[in-house]
Amino acid sequence: MGTVIAVISGKGGVGKTTTTANLGLGIAMNGKKCAIVDFDIGQRNLDMIIGLENRVVYDMVQVMEGECSIPQAIIKSKVNDNLHFLAASQTKDKSVLCSSKVEKLVKELKDSYDVVILDSPAGIESGFEHTIEFADEAIIVVNPEVSSIRDADRAIGILDAKSQKVKQGQEVNKYLIINRINPSMVQSGEMLKSDDILDILNIKLIGKIPEDKSIIDASNQGRPVVLDKKSEAGAAYLRVSKRLCGENVAFVDVESNQASGMLKKLAGIFR
Amino acid sequence: MKQRQFSLKVLEVEIDNENEFIEFFDTHGLLFKNHLISIKGDISDKIKLYLEEMDFKYINNITLPNGKNVKSVDINQNDNKVDKKELEALEEKLKSQAIDCRIKLQEAQAIINELEKKANRELVVVDDMVRSGREITVDGDLLLLNRVNSGATIKTTGNLIITQVVEGAIRCDGSFMMLTVSPKANIIFNGVEVDNSLLQDKLNRIELKDNKIYITPVIKKEINWVQ
Repeated sequence: MGTVIAVISGKGGVGKTTTTANLGLGIAMNGKKCAIVDFDIGQRNLDMIIGLENRVVYDMVQVMEGECSIPQAIIKSKVNDNLHFLAASQTKDKSVLCSSKVEKLVKELKDSYDVVILDSPAGIESGFEHTIEFADEAIIVVNPEVSSIRDADRAIGILDAKSQKVKQGQEVNKYLIINRINPSMVQSGEMLKSDDILDILNIKLIGKIPEDKSIIDASNQGRPVVLDKKSEAGAAYLRVSKRLCGENVAFVDVESNQASGMLKKLAGIFR
Repeated sequence: MKQRQFSLKVLEVEIDNENEFIEFFDTHGLLFKNHLISIKGDISDKIKLYLEEMDFKYINNITLPNGKNVKSVDINQNDNKVDKKELEALEEKLKSQAIDCRIKLQEAQAIINELEKKANRELVVVDDMVRSGREITVDGDLLLLNRVNSGATIKTTGNLIITQVVEGAIRCDGSFMMLTVSPKANIIFNGVEVDNSLLQDKLNRIELKDNKIYITPVIKKEINWVQ
């Protein structure tokens, strides 16, 4: 019996899909069988980011409608055998989802995988609600800016109100990922500090991901940034994946990463 | 010696059935408002109480001097003898008095209800994070032990105390508030928007006294040493 993790944010464009792809691959690299499911029906992106765009034959909606089975619709990743992917439908919209069908799908996935990661759509509409409804844990992705934090706050509020697990009297573990941190801007006080964000949201921090230009290239290439050994963001995602797998990994302060910054500057001089 | 002379109207009654007497006075009592009621024989406490309550002057067991007998009042036949117009006017008067009484009773009941409600109103204590989008409405007093995030709304009809930072909207109609406010918050106290710049970034007491709002920061008291 696996764990179902919903990746949510409230606001769009903060990096939910990138996080899903990287954590999925990171967990798979740790030897666990992981399925990532795109719940953003009508606007699927995850297939491109993990480089499986041209392999999609069946999608999630067809599975739920009974047109095909889950193993038929699942796509294996080219880079790691442990990573499997279930695509969202691009032609339908969110109204095709319904609680009972989602529950059945999530249960079946849960039975055959160690970790199931659901990539939630932006916003707090029905698509979002269906994603969180049957999740055991949630990863909340925020950027260090006020609008993202307020939206995340709202999303957490809805999660606490509508999740099945909460309705049964249990608690949904909530983890915070602060994405796209710009160390120099945090240092100069232009960006919100992590402490302030944690104060407002009041959930456990599982990782800080620094802003990294290589992510854009990685997404375009369809090779998640965790595969890039040189990337700081990739290393940060790998650390989060390990933490999700239960390993105790020391926190690295990405906000005041002075050492590597200095090294880079020196390297620049000697180049 | 001072002396004055009156000619009084006296209603002489002999009670043989107390209930009948009370019933008669309930319906016709107004006619004898200015009469002296002379009761033959002894009277019970019940009748005494009734007459006092209705504000009648009465005497009993006194033999009156011979006077002019105006009317002998007979309960059953009396109605026909009284002038119709007079009766109608009286009825109208009674009716309006009854309505007045009812209105006054309702007003009193409303005041009592409100006081009772106030007395029974319990303090509501909330220990959740009030996240964005949540609205807490309390009819009465509220004690909040956690943060109020931006985008959340708190409404109370009574007093309000929040121990952590407020970033959301506050609508308080009580006479007393105690808050720590961030510059993002929007506070309306008894319909008046409180300027955030007046609320320094620490605990504040906001009170309504004589239609004026007083804001006093809660500062740790320093020891006053003897100079």
